[in-house]
Amino acid sequence: MRNIRFGEGPSFSRKGLKTAIAATLAASTLVSVAACGGNDTATTEDGKPVLNIAVAKHSLTKKMSQMKWVSDLEKECGCVIKWQEVSSDWDQKKQAWFAAGNVPDMILKGVNMTDMATYGSLFEDLSDDLDKMPNVKEMFEQVPTAKKIVTESDGKIHILPSVKKGWPTTVSHLYINQKWLDAVGMKMPTTWDELYDVLVAFKEKDPNGNGKADEVPFDFHSPGTGGFGDYQPHLLLGSLGLTLSSNSGTGYFVDDNKVQNFFIDERFKEVIEFLNKCWSAGLINKEAFTHDYSTAQSFARGEGDTAKVGVTWGWTASDRFGAQLADQYEPVGPLKAKADQTEPVVGEYRKDSLAYNNIALAISAKTKNKEAALKVANAFYGEDMSIELLWGDLGTDTEKTGDHSYKVLPPADSSKDSSTWKWTETLADDSPSWIREDDEIEYPADLIEVQEDEKPMQSAFDAVDTKNDIMPAFLQLSADDLKTIQLNNTTILNTTMSKFSTWVTKGGVDKEWDAYVNTLKKANIEQNIEIYQKAYDDYMKS
Amino acid sequence: MSATATSPASKGLDASNGKIQAPGRADIPENKKHITQRTPGDWVIDIIIWALVAFVIVSIIYPLWFVIIASVSNQTLVNNGQVLVLPKGFSWYGYEQIFQDSRIWTGYRNTILYAVVGTLLNLVITLPAAFALSRSEFRGRRLIMLFFTITMFVNGGLIPTYLLYKQVGLIDSWLVFIIPCAVNVYNLIIARSFFETSIPEELHDAAQIDGLGYFSYFVRIVLPLSSAIVAVIGLYYLVQHWNDFFTGLIYINTYEKQPLQMVLRDILLANSAFAGGSGSTAGAGYGQELADQIKYGVIIASTLPLLVIYPFIQKYFNKGVMIGAIKG
Amino acid sequence: MSAEAQGARADARAKREAQKAKDKRAAELQKQYGHRKLGFKQTFKRYWQLWAMALPAVIFVAIFNYGPMYGIQLAFREFDFTKGLTGGEWVGFKYFKQFFDSPLFGTLMINTVRISLWTLVMGFIFPIILALLINQIHSSKVKGFVQTITYLPHFISTVVVVSMINLFLKPDVGVLTRALGVIGIHSDNFMGDPNLFTPIYWISEVWQHVGWNSIIYLAALSSVDTALYEAAKIDGAGRLQLIRYVDIPAILPTCGVLLILNMGGVLNVGFEKVFLMQNTLNIDASEVISTYTYKIGLLQSQFSYSTAIGLFNMLINFAFLIIANQVSRKVSNSGIF
Repeated sequence: MRNIRFGEGPSFSRKGLKTAIAATLAASTLVSVAACGGNDTATTEDGKPVLNIAVAKHSLTKKMSQMKWVSDLEKECGCVIKWQEVSSDWDQKKQAWFAAGNVPDMILKGVNMTDMATYGSLFEDLSDDLDKMPNVKEMFEQVPTAKKIVTESDGKIHILPSVKKGWPTTVSHLYINQKWLDAVGMKMPTTWDELYDVLVAFKEKDPNGNGKADEVPFDFHSPGTGGFGDYQPHLLLGSLGLTLSSNSGTGYFVDDNKVQNFFIDERFKEVIEFLNKCWSAGLINKEAFTHDYSTAQSFARGEGDTAKVGVTWGWTASDRFGAQLADQYEPVGPLKAKADQTEPVVGEYRKDSLAYNNIALAISAKTKNKEAALKVANAFYGEDMSIELLWGDLGTDTEKTGDHSYKVLPPADSSKDSSTWKWTETLADDSPSWIREDDEIEYPADLIEVQEDEKPMQSAFDAVDTKNDIMPAFLQLSADDLKTIQLNNTTILNTTMSKFSTWVTKGGVDKEWDAYVNTLKKANIEQNIEIYQKAYDDYMKS
Repeated sequence: MSATATSPASKGLDASNGKIQAPGRADIPENKKHITQRTPGDWVIDIIIWALVAFVIVSIIYPLWFVIIASVSNQTLVNNGQVLVLPKGFSWYGYEQIFQDSRIWTGYRNTILYAVVGTLLNLVITLPAAFALSRSEFRGRRLIMLFFTITMFVNGGLIPTYLLYKQVGLIDSWLVFIIPCAVNVYNLIIARSFFETSIPEELHDAAQIDGLGYFSYFVRIVLPLSSAIVAVIGLYYLVQHWNDFFTGLIYINTYEKQPLQMVLRDILLANSAFAGGSGSTAGAGYGQELADQIKYGVIIASTLPLLVIYPFIQKYFNKGVMIGAIKG
Repeated sequence: MSAEAQGARADARAKREAQKAKDKRAAELQKQYGHRKLGFKQTFKRYWQLWAMALPAVIFVAIFNYGPMYGIQLAFREFDFTKGLTGGEWVGFKYFKQFFDSPLFGTLMINTVRISLWTLVMGFIFPIILALLINQIHSSKVKGFVQTITYLPHFISTVVVVSMINLFLKPDVGVLTRALGVIGIHSDNFMGDPNLFTPIYWISEVWQHVGWNSIIYLAALSSVDTALYEAAKIDGAGRLQLIRYVDIPAILPTCGVLLILNMGGVLNVGFEKVFLMQNTLNIDASEVISTYTYKIGLLQSQFSYSTAIGLFNMLINFAFLIIANQVSRKVSNSGIF
């Protein structure tokens, strides 16, 4: 510190300057010696190959070196792994690496098919290396979808997928406060009108019984400016028979093998009209369009055992309302828009995107230790290892109860819930892993709860025409097409999201609808639909 | 003016190791000056000033206080607007999370190192340049200024920069925090403008007569008189290094070299990754709530060290009185 | 001081004596013949030290700032990874046109300029006022306290500032919502009102940075000669007059420089804060160039397009700076270059 004090007159002689520079240099050599530990060496001194593996991991996740399966992995491949653990701003970091052509030997959980459209040449084509990865080969044979979602149009495979089991059909489930329902003496709603009446009763009859009119009948967190997300009111479209699946956040859906966009669909207008009716009656949280996920989450946890929210979407009741209030809430079954409608109610259907993913693993084309890298990749997809990657180490987080049966243990830290726990302990979802179809698994509490909570909606899932009405999660688009879509979407969503919230809060959808549709057409919404249609057709053919 | 300016100044130089005395000026207690003639108008102004100061203090101190109480409160209560004056649902969870994370100590060490060494280099490079450019006889200075100023607006973008750093071996090296940002043009301009306007030209005349070259003039006369600006520029640079996370984010691959801000960002981002996230990451609600608390604790953890620095720098603001002595 | 240094000092002094005589002669000569253009050799001899002092900075800037500038041509090329950074096909002004033709272009420009002008002007005025105010405090303890307090918000991260804004402006229960209600300002939801976006933005910016930005003025004020105050007082100046005739002139040069520099930021509206404050209700007033670039550029590696927008941004900013600089040179005969 002393050297900074230039201002003190006499002390800053030239000698001072010299000392300062000398100190700087000394410090610099010291640290650079200490810090630069040969990053590019391909082998250790005793000849073991060194693999640099970058992993885009969740920030809750502990250090890689603390996971037991990691040392097993090193044993199995006979190599030493140097981890580059990135848990924030991965996308920015990735862009710089790629554009500079500078990638580590292997990347876990961080590359997607979009990257491959531009930077494919940086990565090893694994389609001809499957013989060296018997586990992967077996997976591709037994689970054709797993292969399909990573195979590019020219047959190359740059990314390996992840295959899970036990996940639900969708993420967003609608909950209602059963205790309130009992308090106001009403039945579980089955139509929008019944729902409306229930919401009015929630507002007026003090169902939480604290004498204050602090109940918020209906709540959701603010929709993003870049489209809808999970747990948001566009989900009501299912009531009108419109099947939401992947890419529905930006409006795209498939009806009878035709790609469409609900932002210019009359049914979207009906949803807005219903929401506007609720808003005008003061049934929706005033903050619904401004409070973010985290605030909305806190709000629904209420005060002590006094609930504040009547109806809202969530992952599971205990996740959404907290352990204390979860018991008050029940999942809502299919809601018809009108009592006399013939169109069946459908549920949001995202089975494929929840069970599979295609971002798990990629190997650099320039790796000096390709053999070791392939060994590691293969090891990930081993039966035990897959369980460990998804739920944590055998022995501490999971248990092998039989030849093909496993048990996910409750969190060792009892203050954590099971889904947080897996993110703390291991790489969890999207890691390179293959949970076998015939494995018997005792699932963790969160999955059991979500499977249970989804039951009331089962008829709505059954009503989905999974052959002709589903937008596949893993469509393949060329880099140029992606650019066009993204560019158009930026403009389109800017209009749609702003209009949606204005219409819900201030009304006027009827008057402005036609002009709005025209604006969207000028913003090339139809061009996007065409691009998706083409990709959809290609996907269905293959 | 010139007569009184030159001779005491040069005498002062020879007499006391380059330090210029300000006889009998600095030691007048400031508040005495105003006791003598107080008009009712002065009282009114005083009241207005105190009212304004009170307003400023309240409007700034409350949010700061809020950060403190929020960092030890239950986040559900914070998010619902129930934490107002005192912490509610008190817990140290946020700080426990921050300080039990061993990475944070490495982060502190790295940041202090980068900031101190970096600031040192910044000052050594910036101040002489600023001085040189403040001299009107320096031909070509306008051109050089333009050369500098352009860089405030035009940059080549992330990728060419990355490639350049890669070429010169700065990727994943701690020097990347120090070397590329050696000159901040904004600071350079401020320092230059200070030298231009606050250092009396008579001093230079005197120095010339004493036979001082520019080097000696700068080091022995200008710098000691500029402690205030050196302190400010030093502070600017220090804080720039302190807050820099982008460099670590993009150019550093080894976690042990990451600065504090990156470590804190990691701890902090533990929540946002789930927010409205995609299906596969949905549902980690409990973690979320706890991570929110960290958000406030992080501010305290990263700002506290800077709190110590400011009074240290403030000290230099009162030294400028010396210049006046020469001018007078 | 060590003996060695003293020896060196004596040496230097002797040399200086000799040099002094020489210089005196030179100075006299110069006076006699006026400022004649000096030859290169003489210029160098006289001014090489100035060059030497400026040189390190020039070198650093040349390498690290000018070095990567070739990347700007990306704005005129198709980004093609396989052909290298500058190997893509030349497309001229395609991406500029794309930006100008975008249906959002008008909104983006208006929003950006509105938000930035308010922030720029208010962010310029308030630190000056605060510095003058702090300078009026006589108790050095209070002064130090106020300075430290006001500069602290500068270090609060944008994320937290925005969550505080959200909390304080919560409908019905927020601290500020209630306080503003008392003085008669009501809104159903401050954060959802597009008309309030700009004021909320600049007020919070001023709140956060006013103390930090006043530091430079305080430094300038600290260099004011106390004798000037005495002299002015003898002339019968009141406190307001002291501020007007002593304090303000003292900080004026700094004000000028900062104002010029600020003018070079007319199209710079910080990305992170706007992005975090954005919601679907205020987006019409809050979508700015930087958030737009983020949405189309970073997410999908549209480097060419975002570089083009960036370049456009730079050019406008630079033009404003040059105008401000020229005006300043005309008016006060000083400027940045």
